[in-house]
Amino acid sequence: MTSTDGQESGPRRAGSAPASGGTRPGGRRPRRDRVSEALWGYAFIAPAGLGLAVFHLWPVLQTGYFSFTQWGVFGGHTWTGLDNYHRLLTDPEVARSLVNTLAYTALGLVGIPLAIVFAALLNREGLRGTGVYRTLFFLPVVTMPVAVAMVWRWLYNGEYGLVNHVLALVGIDGPHWIADPDTALFALAAVGVWSGLGYNLIIFLAGIQAIPKEFYDAAAIDGAGPVRQFFRITLPLLSPTAFFVSVISVIGSLQLFDLVYVLAGSGLTGRANPAFPRIQTVVQLFYDRAFLTDDRGYAAAIVMMLLVIIVALTALQFRMQKRWVHYG
Amino acid sequence: MAEVGRAYEGGRARSRRRSHVGVHAILIPASLVMIAPFLWQIVTSLKTLSSATRVPPSLLPEGRWDNYGRMFDLLPFSDQFLNTALMAAGRTAGQILLCPLAAYAFARLRFPGRSVLFGLFLSVLMVPPQLFVLPQYEITASLGWLNSVQALIVPGMFSAFGVFLLRQFFLGLPRELEEAARLDGAGPLRTYWYVMLPLARPGVIAMSVLALLWSWNDLFWPLVVNTDPEKMTLSAGLAALQGQFQTDYPVLMAGSLLASLPVIAAFALLQRQFIQGIAHTGVKG
Amino acid sequence: MGKAARWCAGALGVVLTLSGCSGGGTGAGGVGSGGKGGKVELSYAAWDNNQKKVLEQLGREFTGTHPNVTVKVQLTPWTEYFNKLKTSVTGGSAPDVFWMNGPYFRLYASNGVIRPLDKEVAEDKVDLSVYPKALIDLYTYEGELYGLPKDMDTIGVWYNKALFDARGVDHPAPDWTWSDFNRTAAELTDPGKGVYGVAAQLTSFQEYQYNTIAQAGGYVISPDGKKSGYDQPETIKGLEFWTDLIEKKHSPDLQTMTDTSPLQLFEAGKLAMYWGGSWNAGEFSANEYTKDKVDVAPLPRGEKRATVIHGVANVVSATTEHPREAWEFVEFLGSERAALAIGRSGPLPARDGTRQAWVKDHPRFALTTFLDAVDYAVPFPVSENTAAWNEAELTHLTQAWTGERTVGEASAELARAMNDLLARE
Repeated sequence: MTSTDGQESGPRRAGSAPASGGTRPGGRRPRRDRVSEALWGYAFIAPAGLGLAVFHLWPVLQTGYFSFTQWGVFGGHTWTGLDNYHRLLTDPEVARSLVNTLAYTALGLVGIPLAIVFAALLNREGLRGTGVYRTLFFLPVVTMPVAVAMVWRWLYNGEYGLVNHVLALVGIDGPHWIADPDTALFALAAVGVWSGLGYNLIIFLAGIQAIPKEFYDAAAIDGAGPVRQFFRITLPLLSPTAFFVSVISVIGSLQLFDLVYVLAGSGLTGRANPAFPRIQTVVQLFYDRAFLTDDRGYAAAIVMMLLVIIVALTALQFRMQKRWVHYG
Repeated sequence: MAEVGRAYEGGRARSRRRSHVGVHAILIPASLVMIAPFLWQIVTSLKTLSSATRVPPSLLPEGRWDNYGRMFDLLPFSDQFLNTALMAAGRTAGQILLCPLAAYAFARLRFPGRSVLFGLFLSVLMVPPQLFVLPQYEITASLGWLNSVQALIVPGMFSAFGVFLLRQFFLGLPRELEEAARLDGAGPLRTYWYVMLPLARPGVIAMSVLALLWSWNDLFWPLVVNTDPEKMTLSAGLAALQGQFQTDYPVLMAGSLLASLPVIAAFALLQRQFIQGIAHTGVKG
Repeated sequence: MGKAARWCAGALGVVLTLSGCSGGGTGAGGVGSGGKGGKVELSYAAWDNNQKKVLEQLGREFTGTHPNVTVKVQLTPWTEYFNKLKTSVTGGSAPDVFWMNGPYFRLYASNGVIRPLDKEVAEDKVDLSVYPKALIDLYTYEGELYGLPKDMDTIGVWYNKALFDARGVDHPAPDWTWSDFNRTAAELTDPGKGVYGVAAQLTSFQEYQYNTIAQAGGYVISPDGKKSGYDQPETIKGLEFWTDLIEKKHSPDLQTMTDTSPLQLFEAGKLAMYWGGSWNAGEFSANEYTKDKVDVAPLPRGEKRATVIHGVANVVSATTEHPREAWEFVEFLGSERAALAIGRSGPLPARDGTRQAWVKDHPRFALTTFLDAVDYAVPFPVSENTAAWNEAELTHLTQAWTGERTVGEASAELARAMNDLLARE
């Protein structure tokens, strides 16, 4: 922190500029410059900073406060201390939505190796149609998640869905993917992986292309084929990118909402889905409590729990990275 | 990440004309999986409910264009379209105005407490957005902004992500031009506006494209804050429609296609910028 | 509209109300237009898309007699309606006039977010005897009336004549019984074509469980509103009526109904019978598939005949800036003219003397079924916080519908949960 802080390093760097003279008296310039630069600095960050403070930082503190209160149906709240947190610990819906969210997050990580493989394939020299492939993979990324979820809800339909029609061609009688407790979470995760694949693919493609060609040339001289090159060069050198993607992907998965809200149903209708207990997520529970049953204080406690989990899992990933991430 | 695109061309130019049958054998079925849902969506959107539920299904559409018209009966579709466009444009404009400015200050200007402040900005990035929702809702309500376009725009104009992304970008720019401007007597604002911002254009474009994409598709906040159907966004309107028993699948398919079409069209036009924008987010820093 | 203009209009409204200027109902039109040029826009929230056009038309007609008042209809789909309404009430942006239903009414009345209308009813000499007593009672809380009934609904069995005729099954007789119904459902089920006799919908208690519970002689909530009836053997019989149909595969299972709602199945020709309300008349006469294939029959008799009666009412927000205009609009919506117009768009009007016209407006269907049902109708079960135990109903009965637990077990547990919730009211 101190090394980048203006005060200490300032004079040394500022010293490089003033020698070239100007209209102002030399002696006072560095100090005045410094003050003026600092003022400009504050002025530059002020608009974004104030906005973030009002709409993001302050709300975090307020949510923290809300988590110790109880709300009436039409507003107004009273301090109830740790009640909401006690309730968190014994609420079966919290437990199962947590388990579902973590399972979904773990399943979502499958997308990373998939994206690496496709990125490596797309990066093959002289491959035709890379532009077309890239576009197709990217299409789900730009499509509205609500629309994606609707389309998949239809595809997954037990009687009339395309998925089961295709399975029927090979003699398989497919389940009701999103209404069957045994398949719903997997079906959901598959859509998550499908729609995020293009995003990860692009990031890995950029990572692969940053790997110097010489490495591959040298490996080729040693007689290594494409597969060995992939494992010996691409994979290790891509590990920092993979680390970044996994951090982002975990944070994203833990906040899953849109897909479940549309795919599995919301509110009372959602609760009539037999698979509901197996797909309910933490953020969905938050939404239900905050905006359906108006348990705002309890909802605040639920997201505080989510914050703790996100910070913990991210910290864990940073600790684990030494084991598998190679920084060139 | 202009390199992403260029590297392709280069690779192709010095191709050794190897056959890639094996690679295509994997990529073709995979891309079929990527595109099939959209094709099926289009086919279904042109059927009646009775023919969409026929077993085995017909793979051909039937020209039921009235399904698209019915969206306009079921939802104030044009209003919602406009709201979504205003939200996306407003948020993006706000971010273009504010993010590079702050990012430049964090990258190049020296002032006491810079690291601490930057740390605060970064911490916002870590916090799940749901944590903001309840208080943001209270603020919006107390301003009398519920069911308004500004409720959709204002809280989304400030992006810690944009600041972070562009700071990385500014850090990667050469100092020489900036120093030269300073020697010419330009103050920080002039230096920023005439020298650094133009240099950061690729970064700003990348950020804008992402801001546009994410705000167009945003669901949670619009769902919560604008409850009047005429003030809803397309995502929220569609999500609400889905819950209705009356709405049949062909109509839902038509609606979801209409709603996502603008971004898909934007993607077709700005493909390079989209892809560079995403690639940028992967730059480790 | 500018804030200042709105404020002026609001203030004007208050002054006029205070000074006892009871304009004498809809004809007066003078309210607010008295020189200040204050424009009033009333927001009117509703959930039924089929009625949007007629509500807007009525809004324009109201403007005809009240030139300074315009009405903006806000349509929110049913599944989101009460969620959104609550949010906007909390946020201080409640619509001026809105639709209310039985399950939510007492919550809104007891929290004081809707206005009692007794004073206005008395001043304008509104005749309440034209509405069914069950509906006036439904919208009365602690002796005060909060809403004017707009429409009413009873339940019937909609059936697909084409499917009946194709299988050579007799159309339902007016006096049919549970066993007739079950036999018919069995005869119409055709697994090869993916056609079911009926769908035992879980999510719509008003059209399904509440009726069969009453027909079996059970009850959902005791008349004093203090005790759950879900542990009564008769109530359980009323629920088993449905789970038996699923078990015998004469109804799709819950997973199938989750993927494709019964209404969609019916409109796709995959269901022979659909238990639905009088409000479906509008939808079914507009739908291209159903308009000449379906008709309606009375609910079958169990231990006794029964149908649930319910109705939507127009209520006024307690925080409206234009209470006078809002009331006059509600009064206009309750008029014979409005009731006839609403009847043409689908639902059965609540007002006496307008229902026969509704029947005549939909000549395709035997709609007198719904009028006749009023004679044996039972009230819709509500308490102060109905929504709380409605969630419990779903949570517990889902397990009975999937077959995970017996109806007896799930229902007993539901009774316990519901009694807890009732005790907290």
